[in-house]
Amino acid sequence: MILAATGFFWCFLLWFSTAAFSPSIRAEYSLDLTDMAILASSAIWMAPIGRIVAGWASDKFGARNTFVIILIYCGIFSIFSSFATDYKTLFILRVIVASAGVSFVVGVQHVSQWFEKEEIGVAMGLYAGTGNAGAGIGMFLLPRIYGTDYSSAFLHLGIIALVIAGIYFLRGVDAKDEETRLRAKSTANVRGTLFVWTRFAAIALMLGYGISFGLEIAMNAWLPGYYALGFASNLESLGYTTVKQIQIAVGTFAAVQSFNASLFRPFSGYMSDLFQRRNWMPYPLITKKLPYSPRIHWLVTALLVITVSMILLTLAGLSGILPLSVVVLAIFGIAISFGTGSTFAIVPLMFKDRPGTATGFIGGVSTSFGIIYPLIFGAKALANIHIGYAIAAIVIFIPVILFVLWAMRYDESPEDHGIGSKEYWLGENTEV
Amino acid sequence: MTEEVKYDPWYKYGVIALYVEMFLAIAFSIFALYMTLTGSGGISRH
Repeated sequence: MILAATGFFWCFLLWFSTAAFSPSIRAEYSLDLTDMAILASSAIWMAPIGRIVAGWASDKFGARNTFVIILIYCGIFSIFSSFATDYKTLFILRVIVASAGVSFVVGVQHVSQWFEKEEIGVAMGLYAGTGNAGAGIGMFLLPRIYGTDYSSAFLHLGIIALVIAGIYFLRGVDAKDEETRLRAKSTANVRGTLFVWTRFAAIALMLGYGISFGLEIAMNAWLPGYYALGFASNLESLGYTTVKQIQIAVGTFAAVQSFNASLFRPFSGYMSDLFQRRNWMPYPLITKKLPYSPRIHWLVTALLVITVSMILLTLAGLSGILPLSVVVLAIFGIAISFGTGSTFAIVPLMFKDRPGTATGFIGGVSTSFGIIYPLIFGAKALANIHIGYAIAAIVIFIPVILFVLWAMRYDESPEDHGIGSKEYWLGENTEV
Repeated sequence: MTEEVKYDPWYKYGVIALYVEMFLAIAFSIFALYMTLTGSGGISRH
């Protein structure tokens, strides 16, 4: 878990290091609001398909090999990007580096191969939460260390990624035993993948993860630009006037979301374990008969809290009070952590023989939400830069929650229900 | 109804770690709030 969390932490740092320097890049290349929205969105372009492939590869070839390959190529392209001399080259290279985010599913697969079901909530939370903190730490520290010199930052981040790849290769072990590793490997096939992709429960978890983790990564990339533009007069009156000062200030504010979403994530896993231990199941529509039903009830609680906090974020922005916006952002980050932690306390239990494939689908396709959010938030058709959060909550989040309630109503094997029967997709090999 | 579960030794340290992480998140949020109120926070004015 320590290896996976370290590797993932650095990948997250690589992933969102572009966002940490977005005010500098904006100033150097004279980017407008739409350019900033595209730059924020582009950080996530590679994630959906990349995570699907990485999840399958970690089942097939082992988490260690897959993680090492990701760290090596992202490190090399980060080094290349430090020498870019025009915006087009820089943009393309940073999109490639941003694919470091696919490593999440590899780490989930790796951790799920090592821990028992009673401990999976905390184990997943510690892995993912610590790893996700890389984004916040990057936004907080990188502008302070490097100022506006993002090229040096990209160079050093790339070199260290190569060092971590070497350590991971030498010390990593795929699973706690050979039987576990071989079981995951044997299920990594096309029919098994299509089976997972067509399950209503997997689709519900994927959509739910889209409004938690998809939103988290979108906000990582979006928030520095949001605070620079949406609270420009507040920043000026506080004395943040140069590009460097504004970059440090907005990076710190944006990191509030990332820190809370990341560092509360283990607590969400713990809450999932607690719901399970205390058998808490407050919602009437969701099944109460599955061995892990309480964990599903915790997930729905989390999704409701996220939706409310998005509307609060819009209200705080419209008020124009910067401290209020930052306080609401902290609450919002905690709500996000509840959603992300609760989802991956369920996935390894529901799809125990296909952890990589299920994680690749749920953790991969859901990130496409992260591409959409910045484009909604930065849409010129909106009255102002604050209103997009409430619109996303009403138009996207509420329908998703209703689908989750519907998909999680089955009292037996919800993973069996979907488009096509289990026998149709798996034939004789009907292990889930 | 409470389920009786026996955890591996690492679990209690994991729970301690998660409380430490939460404390860090709250401390950082307070620092950011301080910046929004004072306009300072380790930023050079030169």
